[in-house]
Amino acid sequence: MDASIIKQIEDIVGPEYVSTREDVLLTYSSSASMICDTAKPDVVVRPRTAEEVSKLLKLANKYRIPVTTRSGGSSLQEEVIPHSGGMIIEMMRFTDIKLFEDLRSVKVGAGITFGQLDKFLLEHDLWLPMCPESALVATVVGNVAVNGAGPGSSVYGSIAELVLGMEVVLPNGEIIQTGSEANPHAPGPFLRYAFGPDLTGLFIGSLGAFGVITSVSMKTFKRMKHFHHETYGFHSIDAAERFLLEIQEHEIHTVFASLYEDRVLDLFMSMLGDEYGIPEYEWPLRTVSMTIGRLREDELNSDIEMAKKICEDLGGYVIGITELPKGEWELKMWTFVRACYVHGWHWRTLYHHQPPSGNRKSVEKIWEVMDEYGFLGHTAGFLSGHASMNMYPHLYADPEDPEEQQKIRDGHQDLARRLFKTGAVPFKLAPYWKDILQEIPDYMDLLRMIKEVLDPNGIMNPGVLGGI
Amino acid sequence: MPTIDMEELIEELMQCRRCGICRNAVYDDMGFDGVCPIWRNSTGFEPDFMRGKIIIALALLSGELEKTAENVKALFQCTLCGNCTEICAASFDPKEAMETVRYVLNDAPNPVRDTLAKRVIDTNTPYEEGQEIKQNWLNELDFEVPNQSDVVYFVGCTAATKLHQIPIATAKILQAANVEFAVMENEPCCGSVLLRTGRADEAEENALTVAESIKSTGAKRVVVSCAGCLKTLRKDYAEKFGIEMPEIVHIVEFAQKLIESGDLNLKPLENSTKVTYHDPCHMGRELNVYDAPRSILESIPNLELVEMHPNRAQALCCGAGGGLRSYDSELAKKIAAERVRHAETLDVSALTSACPFCELNFVSGSKKEESEIEVLDIVELLSRCL
Repeated sequence: MDASIIKQIEDIVGPEYVSTREDVLLTYSSSASMICDTAKPDVVVRPRTAEEVSKLLKLANKYRIPVTTRSGGSSLQEEVIPHSGGMIIEMMRFTDIKLFEDLRSVKVGAGITFGQLDKFLLEHDLWLPMCPESALVATVVGNVAVNGAGPGSSVYGSIAELVLGMEVVLPNGEIIQTGSEANPHAPGPFLRYAFGPDLTGLFIGSLGAFGVITSVSMKTFKRMKHFHHETYGFHSIDAAERFLLEIQEHEIHTVFASLYEDRVLDLFMSMLGDEYGIPEYEWPLRTVSMTIGRLREDELNSDIEMAKKICEDLGGYVIGITELPKGEWELKMWTFVRACYVHGWHWRTLYHHQPPSGNRKSVEKIWEVMDEYGFLGHTAGFLSGHASMNMYPHLYADPEDPEEQQKIRDGHQDLARRLFKTGAVPFKLAPYWKDILQEIPDYMDLLRMIKEVLDPNGIMNPGVLGGI
Repeated sequence: MPTIDMEELIEELMQCRRCGICRNAVYDDMGFDGVCPIWRNSTGFEPDFMRGKIIIALALLSGELEKTAENVKALFQCTLCGNCTEICAASFDPKEAMETVRYVLNDAPNPVRDTLAKRVIDTNTPYEEGQEIKQNWLNELDFEVPNQSDVVYFVGCTAATKLHQIPIATAKILQAANVEFAVMENEPCCGSVLLRTGRADEAEENALTVAESIKSTGAKRVVVSCAGCLKTLRKDYAEKFGIEMPEIVHIVEFAQKLIESGDLNLKPLENSTKVTYHDPCHMGRELNVYDAPRSILESIPNLELVEMHPNRAQALCCGAGGGLRSYDSELAKKIAAERVRHAETLDVSALTSACPFCELNFVSGSKKEESEIEVLDIVELLSRCL
């Protein structure tokens, strides 16, 4: 990048927050996304205010510099891999948190992680009731940008459902506020669907293609203290899938419910069973690992009874192993992610959503692909809302075996194609969906049109949104 | 130093899944409130915490990055405090891997490391003041200390050179408990700084000399003041060099036993005092010595111990370790200043530790902050109660 441009960037944020050092650029060429191509940016910038971001984007537009916005760098689907010659805008200096207790909301800067927010809200006996498994490193804004899900989603849905508004710097440098805060006289964030169409929603899951989100306003809830962890066994797939639907229908407050195939649980247990003190057990065909959470104990007890009844009415049984759901709920990165770390492999993941009845299709497809391509992996899923499940296939490869990694890349692309055909939907348009999305040209044309209006020079993370 | 298996080292480094948990994780249930002291006190680019350092290490080892002073900076801007290791969910020890990388890349330009190594090799101390002054503190005692005994007090370069109040207090404690002890006439440097900065070959040579010197005193037990000496003599000599040493104890471990056995009786402090305690990384995370210092503080009449959070295995580093105080002294002091600010929020009159190197850096941090908080070693407090 031309030295005069670097100088202009330094004038905006201060020279100490701009780097063109070779080692620094290298560290921003990748993220937690593994087995993928990397690229070095020409410059990394760490702004502190929306106004600075605005000036940076105006500059990027002037010189047609591709911009990749990044915060925690923990995303797994190549969202923040930069463009060669581009600019990384790193948002970790946006560390403001403002609580609106009377509005049941909190506004957080783009550098605030779920862990930091949770600690802050704990002091007020409040919480944001959903976090991704990467909560300790993922920022709230970053998660909104990818529309993540995780523990808590089984009741509260994906992160999108908890957003009340946001501040966004558009590609042309204009700073806008969505939701009730768009009214400068409003007391703060209390309503998302204000002033007509849901502009907030436009940026959720946008992967930084439409602008830079500098803060989000989130709903807060009174902190839940009563939890019950339980595992439920089923000898039929139908019954297990039906169970997940019925606990939603009966509004049992299942803050987290995962569905496991027996051989996947066997794999997890062989890796981590001892570490978590989970007793040896002959897992049934399907196991639901579930945490019910309630504000009041009487409500919790009622839910526990009802869940047991639904399970038994469907021919299932209460297993009684509590360590697994307890670990899923409490240990954050030390359960699922630890399971991925412990064996030493690198992985690609292929997050997608299915209805509970589609769970088996995802399971079938990943086994098919693993057999055909000859690599290791698994999938499981958790309830992520009204009637949806977040499935998270993991495809493993030796970090030092390029051939195996190529198999993973090929198999991953093929798996995405096969999953789409089963009716699965991506909740974020990671780049590998590009070819598959040719099946929905009108939808993609509309997205492209929106992109062209907002970002006519195509500077914002080009290609990230399913090729757009 | 054992031969480094490069394949194994690369495999270790590849265990990093780049999740970034080593940056600033706040994990209340596990006691973490931030992780990397470098990241918190620098401009905060990726090389300022372990994820970035590992990417750089791999690139330097593969030749993708040239070994220039600038490119190796991230490797040395690290206190090796091990908080990243404590929180890392992967099956490897990032801090240990980084120390090994420094060794493998010890031909990379780093004049500060080279100067330190030369001083230790030539003068038996990393400090420019030289070996000669290391026994000056003895002149301030009103009793004689022999050179031979079952118990040898290994003072350590920092206490002997910079903080005389620590060896003086330690000597008074040992005397008060009727412990016959000796001090070495020409006490060598334990070599911790050589090991941490990648000069492991020289560290091994030095360790053999140190072990021989200690042996010549007839010591059955070596008492140290410094957490760095403790880790080096107790753990590294055995694990890295296979050197058998006599029992190595920190004075706080020893004093705890003396208090418990009734051999050391403590008078109340003159004024009621509230203090906090900083866990030195080499004593805490490395050797799990958490209870002895707390037990001593709690046994001092008229003293209240208030904990800093995070503490124990999740405690944040003082900023001095891993050679950082010499390599980037401003950054080291900034880290110390943050810890001092933290202590100030607890409304305590003193920030105590059990490591002269921590104390030295806290004094700098305290000056930087213009703080009125007293920075003390536990033995200084103890000696006030004799």
